[in-house]
Amino acid sequence: MANVIGSSIVIDGEITGDEDLVVQGTVKGRIALKQSLFVENSGVVEADIETQNVEISGSVTGNILASDKVELRSDGKMVGDIKAPRILIADGATFKGNVDMDR
Amino acid sequence: MADTSTIVGQTMLIKGNLEGDEDLTVQGRIEGSLNLTKTLIIEPNGVVKADVSVANAVISGVMVGNLTASDSLEITDTGRMVGDIRAPRVIIVEGASVRGKVDMGDLEMPRPASDRKPVYTPKPISRPAEKPKPVVKKPPKKAAPPPKAKKAAPPPKAKPAKKKKKVVVKKKKRR
Repeated sequence: MANVIGSSIVIDGEITGDEDLVVQGTVKGRIALKQSLFVENSGVVEADIETQNVEISGSVTGNILASDKVELRSDGKMVGDIKAPRILIADGATFKGNVDMDR
Repeated sequence: MADTSTIVGQTMLIKGNLEGDEDLTVQGRIEGSLNLTKTLIIEPNGVVKADVSVANAVISGVMVGNLTASDSLEITDTGRMVGDIRAPRVIIVEGASVRGKVDMGDLEMPRPASDRKPVYTPKPISRPAEKPKPVVKKPPKKAAPPPKAKKAAPPPKAKPAKKKKKVVVKKKKRR
């Protein structure tokens, strides 16, 4: 993966890009990608997210708008609304918010 | 997990504040402010428009903004930098382009001395300025032998000095 936000990194602001992004650290603000966002176990995202795919093993607070898929893994914690054509929530995941799979 | 290195890829743009305790490699763009306790590497395609505070920095790309490095800064032959630099060690390689001030810290030891001078000067100037007037009254007494004059002089000094000081104080109060 080309883009990694390491575990000790804290970003307060906006991230935009055309590549995959792996978050092991903390991001607050907004994330807009044309590809996939991976929030790993140590990752904390307090942001509105706009991407193609999102895979959450860490913690996300904010609304997600995905053009393809949102996957909440068993370690994942999510508070916020999800809008995506495909939404997967694994056993063990925590989620609070609205789900919208309209398409 | 590679938690010793963070990479901002070529198409990435980060706007805002970025803080961290690990190395950061920038191939994309960062705008805002950047605080790291380790090394910032700006690769040839990387652009950083930010106030940067790091331990070490290696600039092969473009850096616009003020940079403070607690250890060293290196600007390589492809590096371009606009902004002020503060670092104890600054390395600028041939081919690099830099515009801004460079402050390597330790060379500025003389500065504190220049700060002290104005502190000393006003006091000596103001006090002698009041004393010369009593001195003018001394010469008539100096007619006596020089050694005695020196001994006799101190008491008269005290009296006029007190009177004049009081006068000065009153004037200030009236004003």
